[in-house]
Amino acid sequence: MKVTFRVPRFDAATDFTAKYQIYHVEVTPYTTILDALNIIKEEQDSTLAFRRGSQSGIDGSCGMMVNGRNRLASTTRVMGLNATEIALGPLPGFPVIRDLVVDFDSFFAKDAVMLPYLVTDIAKPEDGKERLQSPKDANRIALAATCNQCGCCTSACPVHWSNGEYYGPSALTRAYRFVEDSRDTAIKARLEIVGSETGVWRCHTIFNCSECPKSIPNGENIQALKRKIMLNKIGLGRIEVKVARTEATV
Amino acid sequence: MRQRYTSDVLVIGTGGAGLRAAIELHDQGLKVLLVGKRPKADAHTVLAAGGINAALATVDPEDTWAIHAADTLQEGRMLGDPRMVELLCQQAPQAIAELEAWGMPFARTSTGLIDQRYFGAHRYRRTCFVGDYTGLEIINALMREVERRQIPILERAYISDLLHTGNRVNGAYGFWLADQRQFVIESNAVILATGGHIHIYQRSSSRRRENTGDGMALGLHVGAHLADMELVQFHPSGMIFPHELAGTLVTEAVRGEGGQLYNRHGERFMQRYDAERMELSTRDRVALANYTEIMAGRGSEHGGVWLDISHMPASLIRERLPRMVEQFQAVGVDITREAMQIAPTAHYSMGGLKVDPFSHATNVAGLYAAGEVTAGVHGANRLGGNSLAEILVFGRIAGQHAAEYVRQHSEQPVQAAQIQQAAERLAWASQQAGDFQRSLIDQLQQLVWHGAGVVRNEQTLEASLDQLHTLRSQSQQRSVGPADLAASLDLQSMLLTAEATILAALMRPESRGAHQRSDFPATDPLWQRTIVIKPYRDQTEQLRLELTTELIPTASEDVQAAFNQQEYSVAGRLVE
Repeated sequence: MKVTFRVPRFDAATDFTAKYQIYHVEVTPYTTILDALNIIKEEQDSTLAFRRGSQSGIDGSCGMMVNGRNRLASTTRVMGLNATEIALGPLPGFPVIRDLVVDFDSFFAKDAVMLPYLVTDIAKPEDGKERLQSPKDANRIALAATCNQCGCCTSACPVHWSNGEYYGPSALTRAYRFVEDSRDTAIKARLEIVGSETGVWRCHTIFNCSECPKSIPNGENIQALKRKIMLNKIGLGRIEVKVARTEATV
Repeated sequence: MRQRYTSDVLVIGTGGAGLRAAIELHDQGLKVLLVGKRPKADAHTVLAAGGINAALATVDPEDTWAIHAADTLQEGRMLGDPRMVELLCQQAPQAIAELEAWGMPFARTSTGLIDQRYFGAHRYRRTCFVGDYTGLEIINALMREVERRQIPILERAYISDLLHTGNRVNGAYGFWLADQRQFVIESNAVILATGGHIHIYQRSSSRRRENTGDGMALGLHVGAHLADMELVQFHPSGMIFPHELAGTLVTEAVRGEGGQLYNRHGERFMQRYDAERMELSTRDRVALANYTEIMAGRGSEHGGVWLDISHMPASLIRERLPRMVEQFQAVGVDITREAMQIAPTAHYSMGGLKVDPFSHATNVAGLYAAGEVTAGVHGANRLGGNSLAEILVFGRIAGQHAAEYVRQHSEQPVQAAQIQQAAERLAWASQQAGDFQRSLIDQLQQLVWHGAGVVRNEQTLEASLDQLHTLRSQSQQRSVGPADLAASLDLQSMLLTAEATILAALMRPESRGAHQRSDFPATDPLWQRTIVIKPYRDQTEQLRLELTTELIPTASEDVQAAFNQQEYSVAGRLVE
């Protein structure tokens, strides 16, 4: 089947506005958007710029807008879109460098603010072995830990579009992953960071971010952080409060 | 204006081995710079699904490092370097403890300890895991530690040459993939952690246009030696249809959970190859069996054999093999009801740069290497789960010894002439660059697949060597197409490493593990030797390869005592 791709061409170094370019690609039922882009680049136009990484949905390099939705190009099958015309675009809400490549510097800088590593004062066992963690506690962070920073969530967030200072769902899910880790003891510092002016309270519960290629419920994670902050404020932080959560099952 | 960076140690490659080495160097107080040709955290390590081996004896208290080493050496058909294997198995538990301390969300036992499961051909359960995305979590954990230490990373930067002077390396030269601006890196030592070369095969489990043998080629150009290049692991089960996905791995767990192999006539052909262990035989044996059936005309219309698990309850298949169900659903195959078509796929470079077993130094002063780019641990058949252990243990060791080297050797500033030479080579490559190079890469992959694939013989190898030389001269013709400098350099690295693989395969007159010669079907005990490849320049300054062999030292008494005296049953033990 022949499919038409409409791709914006833009180079921040030389252009003021984007032009659109049309490519025609013959696809099979198995061709992904990324396969189609590879075909364009290798057979039709080697100047087209886009990112690709694991090419199998693992590392999240190829986030882009596909017919109006943020998706990973490598896991989206062309025919699954039921369209013969497909509009591609760079992830919205970020400065475009070239064509489908956006500038993620601010995105990664926000992630770095979250202390994205284990901070703990639990002493290591003297025998040099591992700290204990129950399977239940390990499962609590399993899903959030798979975030590959593709940026589809933060780029889909209308609050982030209008307020570039907002940490955004991806960075907040990162914070959530460590707040929920039974081995981490920096919870107070972490809640202060996410509870700051540019943190969770900017979230208006639009939940675009929960449409995640890795099925991580980013919006729900942000609400869980809000609850944690409030419970801490009223002195119930240390009590296990059972709150119904809509976590996707792995 | 050319950009210039300086560091004590340059680490090339941002996969597991490179990140681990960088962390070690930083912790030793050195200035370290990481360079990768892809975005950070994007490396083949993330594709490693099954787990990481360490004899923690958590689940099976009888397990020891010596038994782990014995399993690794024996399954490697005694071509692994015992000194390196012993070091790996002794230090793997420490690597697990490190990862845990860095927040790795390991699967746990009911008592809170790190859980361990069986992997093919291991005597005990010693594989630690996080679901079926262990490699991704390892990269996540290491990347977080790199960020905590604020180690600088140059992303999407292609290294085209190592700089060396007076028999030691003193930096590297490269360019940014985005705009081809060039840069120089001055550094007192270099660690190569660039992965393997299996992209030389038409069908491989690597990603498109990745794993092109860059590190091995960089090493050869400054005189580093290679070893074991004829030993390439073929995984028995790669997808074969549709062609977009050909080569994509079908996990060993399908066979572990009871999957059966059939040929065109509906025969369970493993009876002919390993009647006792059947589908649960080792990777090299099953790959050979699949290949033989296909070549004998007993394969499917797409050139594969059938792997069938549909006799098991659908609910169990969905619970145990969710990713496989999904992977095949996407191509319209319901594996709970129908068979998959599979064929062997190139999976792992067991050969690579020859390094000192204790320091992971190459024979070039100041040049170190770690991970898949090195040879020595896996011998003629790699055990599942050992490669993730290898990158962490030897990433750290390479970092440690590079740090020691830097402390003992003063800096050797990069000379203008060195930069000139590297820039000239790039200019040369960009004249050859063009879309044309892609089709040469495709041709190279086909000739290596047919000439030095699962089964080789003198005829196929010689023929492929001839074709390789033709391709090389074609690749040096000027092109008028748009420049694709990276593709041009990739191709040169692939030609060089493919030549090494073909030459080494020609030299080994026996069949052993992953190296199967149809003209020498038996294993020759006299060939329990390592084939070493040394580069030299001929009169025309062309890089040539010279092959020699070396004896392999014997294992320590601890490990010899742990050698398995008889073949054991693997029923129910093959889970990846």
